[in-house]
Amino acid sequence: MKAAGSGLDKGLGPVVRTIAAWSGVALPLALIGWGLIALAGAPLGEAIDGFLRGAFGGRRNAYLLTTLSRAGLIIGMAMAAWLSFRAGLFNIGGEGQLVLGGLSAALVAIHAPGPAPVAIALAFAAGMAAGAAWAMLAGVLELAAGVPLLIGSLLLNYPASFFASWVVGHPFRDVASGLPQTVLLPAERWLPNFSGTRLDVGVAFIAVVTVLVIVYGATTTHGLRARLNGQAPAFARASGLAVRRLSLQTLAASGALAGFVGALAVLGLHHRYSDGMLVQPLYAWTGIVAVLLVGLVPWAVPLAGFFFAALATGAAGMERTAAVPREIALILQACVILFVAGRTARSVPGARRDDPGS
Amino acid sequence: MDMLLDPAFLASVPRFVVPVLLAALGGALCERAGVFNIALEGFVLVGAFAAVAGSWLGESALLGIVFACLAGAAMGLVFAEFSVRRGGDAIVTSVALNLLAIGLTTYLLRALFGVTGAFRDARIDGLGTLDLPILAGWPVLGPLLSGQSPLLLVAVLTALLLHLGLARHRLGLRLRAAGEAPAALVAGGVSVRRVRTGALVACGVLCGLAGAQLSISNVNLFVENMSAGRGWIAVVAVLLTRGRPLPLLGVAILFGTADSLSVRIQGLGLPQQATDALPYLVTLVALVVASVWRLRRSAPGAAS
Amino acid sequence: MSSERDARAGEPLHAALSDVTVRFGGQVAVDALSLHFEPGQVHAIIGENGAGKSTAVNVLFGLVAPDEGEVRIDGMARRFRSPHAAIQAGLGMVHQHFTLVEDMSVLENVVLCAEPDAGAGLVDFQAARAVLDRLAAEHGIMVEADARVRDLPFGARQNVEIVKALYRDARLLVLDEPTAVLTPRESEALFAMLRRLRDAGRTIVLITHKLDEVLAISDRVSVLRKGRLISSRRLDAGATVEDSAAGGRAGLRDVLAREIVGGDLPAPLRRAERAPGEIVLRAQAVRRREGAMTVGPLDLTLRGGEILAVAGVAGNGQGALVRALVGLDRQASPGPDASRGRIELAGVDVASVDVAGRRALGLCYVPEDRRHTGLALDASVAENASVARLDAPPLVRGPFLVRRAMRAFAAGLIERYRIAARGPRARAGTLSGGNQQKLVVARELELGGVVTIAENPTWGVDIGAIAAVHRELMAMRDDGRAILLVSSELDEVLALADRTLVMSGGHFVAEFARGEATRESLGRAMTGGAASARGSDVVGGLAA
Repeated sequence: MKAAGSGLDKGLGPVVRTIAAWSGVALPLALIGWGLIALAGAPLGEAIDGFLRGAFGGRRNAYLLTTLSRAGLIIGMAMAAWLSFRAGLFNIGGEGQLVLGGLSAALVAIHAPGPAPVAIALAFAAGMAAGAAWAMLAGVLELAAGVPLLIGSLLLNYPASFFASWVVGHPFRDVASGLPQTVLLPAERWLPNFSGTRLDVGVAFIAVVTVLVIVYGATTTHGLRARLNGQAPAFARASGLAVRRLSLQTLAASGALAGFVGALAVLGLHHRYSDGMLVQPLYAWTGIVAVLLVGLVPWAVPLAGFFFAALATGAAGMERTAAVPREIALILQACVILFVAGRTARSVPGARRDDPGS
Repeated sequence: MDMLLDPAFLASVPRFVVPVLLAALGGALCERAGVFNIALEGFVLVGAFAAVAGSWLGESALLGIVFACLAGAAMGLVFAEFSVRRGGDAIVTSVALNLLAIGLTTYLLRALFGVTGAFRDARIDGLGTLDLPILAGWPVLGPLLSGQSPLLLVAVLTALLLHLGLARHRLGLRLRAAGEAPAALVAGGVSVRRVRTGALVACGVLCGLAGAQLSISNVNLFVENMSAGRGWIAVVAVLLTRGRPLPLLGVAILFGTADSLSVRIQGLGLPQQATDALPYLVTLVALVVASVWRLRRSAPGAAS
Repeated sequence: MSSERDARAGEPLHAALSDVTVRFGGQVAVDALSLHFEPGQVHAIIGENGAGKSTAVNVLFGLVAPDEGEVRIDGMARRFRSPHAAIQAGLGMVHQHFTLVEDMSVLENVVLCAEPDAGAGLVDFQAARAVLDRLAAEHGIMVEADARVRDLPFGARQNVEIVKALYRDARLLVLDEPTAVLTPRESEALFAMLRRLRDAGRTIVLITHKLDEVLAISDRVSVLRKGRLISSRRLDAGATVEDSAAGGRAGLRDVLAREIVGGDLPAPLRRAERAPGEIVLRAQAVRRREGAMTVGPLDLTLRGGEILAVAGVAGNGQGALVRALVGLDRQASPGPDASRGRIELAGVDVASVDVAGRRALGLCYVPEDRRHTGLALDASVAENASVARLDAPPLVRGPFLVRRAMRAFAAGLIERYRIAARGPRARAGTLSGGNQQKLVVARELELGGVVTIAENPTWGVDIGAIAAVHRELMAMRDDGRAILLVSSELDEVLALADRTLVMSGGHFVAEFARGEATRESLGRAMTGGAASARGSDVVGGLAA
């Protein structure tokens, strides 16, 4: 159809349009949030107050630190997804890679001999290896057996979770605690906190990793080739890019990063692996939607990650003070994605189907 | 092997086949219409919750069915609005709706019923069964078909109707065109959007029924994340059969049986997690087998 | 809804564009255009790519709303909001890219969205079949009602499109580049059908850039250039292009060609006299499959300093040949497989060599699909230009890209090949079709490879860019490099080739040395009529 020109195209146009666009998202969300809170029978003022304190406040900023900690994990998973998606690889198996990474790291950190720094390093290595292997398995399933990566990676999430659940429920269970979890890591093998706070240095690790990943994408040959492979696969093949090798390497990196995040959660946050601790908070899925929200623009990913983390911890606070179920965060998160996705079609390169529908 | 023919086992198979089949039929409609809907898991979950809510509210399973259909249709409309009408990527929309379903059902579970984890109540009316006296006495088909949820009949009939409709009915033709060559519909003055929206709503209704089977027929309660992967298995079934109803019927039966088997063999001493993982492993194996078979069939020298 | 159609079925239809102007963004696509389409007439609209022909017709058909001017049907101004409305008014269009559902049968395609009702929405296929039979009897158009469109050759698919229009009682029929994918024989059959329809009183509009077709079939010719009407003439029926007695006809061809281009035609390419050099590419008994067709066994040799053309209508196995030579169809488990034949590049057997390896041996490739295979449209010009040079300095240092060097390289290409782009940072997708093609050609030629495979390198590109690309290819050839030109444009083949192979039905059916090939002999060979290497007249039946 003809492109219609309108007065909004010039001058203040772009600004007005951006404001209008974001209002188009913020207003419905506010309405939905208000409706949900009303449904729970909670007073609105208390709810909002509880939300803000839950996300950003607390004695000695305890809650803010929780938000930061959570944001770190989400951002890590988001960057893992970013690596895959930008290369046209629809790897949504982050959850399985995260779980296996965390489990491996926990087991190694508990049982590996040697001084603490070595054990910690080995734990991270184990976590990354496990995540990378699980991601590459999905890749191999596609390359060798034609199972679409989207489905294969997703389906692999479940056996991974079940396996981890069994491991901490039976062979490596902390019998004394009576719960399906490993024993606590020895104290010297915990990641240290920032001095004087309760925030572990894991957040700093994530920050460093995020920067490295972004730099990789923008400045390295491999990064460019992977991106071209995602944006224009036929072009990549005809240009002689080693498509399969690129795909497997990217998947390995993506899985390794997910495993790294899992190790971080175990060594820095929980100091053990318990059944469901990485799945319940939906770190992997939140990471995926964070990346989809910002349309694969790398520097915006930390912002989205922090936003979703604040949403979650704020909702927890809202539950504490106003008895609003904390799942409101998940609902709002999903709605944000819906509204934003509705404005940015094709946010993922090489998505399986182009909806031409008009 | 005689476990497979044991009447009690046979009677349990449809309980697992029906949800997968219904959801897969819904997914097939979307697939044929050109909508890559992988939110079946979320659709089914919402349907399951709505069925329990409706059944509890009116102490009537029928009201539960109605609620389930409405809830599913609503999900379909939401998908249509954000993906078909506004042009959002279907995969992104699906991921969002799956998360929305988890959040919404858990939220409402606590906000409306004041419980977490599971909701049980005497007021929830179960769906009841349909006896087919003619078949009841037959050796294998008897326990398989008689005394089952009425949704089994609905599911099988829907599969047959879909098969016929796609070939012979005006709407079926247009649905297929929407998926394969939307330009043909545009030239014909039929709105592609409308066709796809219709497919999504119908998918929602079918998935809602699938959820109802889970929550007010198989059992009489709602558990968080009740859909437990059935929606994903349905997605795989649709992919394997490219949305063709009759093969879909066969594949759904296969997967449903595997599901039912996994519960059965729990008693054999394997850890519960192994049997939980079995349906997913079965679907993975089925995908691999189907892909390899397809590759072999195509001419030698095909592109790698 | 269909009452309008029923009421007017069979009546002659006059259509006109009246002072129509269409702008896309800042560009004027159609400029104050007025055209009349009379019943009982074949009216051809000609012009080069980008002249506005398709846009003008899209206005007629309701696909594009004009900024100024109007559409008149039988004297009344009409505004069609959709193609459907135009169809209801008696217009029918056969698009360049068919709007058929491949997995459906012909019958299903014809009735789609106009299905006769057998009750409760079920489709009355019997009634539809009866209509098809009637149309076949009236107009001599034969279609197999139950064949799946996917299995039909392009000529038959086009017939289905025409039947679709006739089924809806189209009184005006527009055909957009109808012979682009037809063999000469199929084109003749199409023209015979169009003449019958014209004689029955329908209005026929033909959009094409092929002058010879125009002169063969049309009663009126209108030339468009840059969106403006340059001329509109009535033609006398009958005389063919070669009618030397009426020097006027051949003269008319030149006049029209000049009007299309807006000046003198580009000078014919000059080629350096040279003897071909060493064999750089050899194919022996190469066998592949393309869909249901067996391609091969094919043998060819290519030497340095020559342009070898593979001529033929699209879909006769050229794609499989090119993929085999470039290395895009390697099986998952590589390894020599006797039945697939042997390909040697620079003397090396490349059965187990992938695309990267073949490029390292000196292969360059200008693909047919510049938008998806030739370029990454979302990437910058610099990135597109550099993609094959990322293994060594100066464009990379270690694992890192040196973006400044990439941009400098791209800037050099832009200047040398006169590519109209905002700069090396511009997204490749912002370039026009012709400039995109120039970028692909530039990138591949600069690699300095010994063998370049060029697949329809000037498809859909304006005349200026065509001339530029041809010049570059000829320069390479003069320089001693080898070019394999796969093309379905006879003019291109005739202008460039040293030797020509004609491909039809998956086989090479004829070979011509330079100077031996003519349009006629090439055309005959393409339909499978045997033509020996000496180009003598042999009338034969269809080859395999």
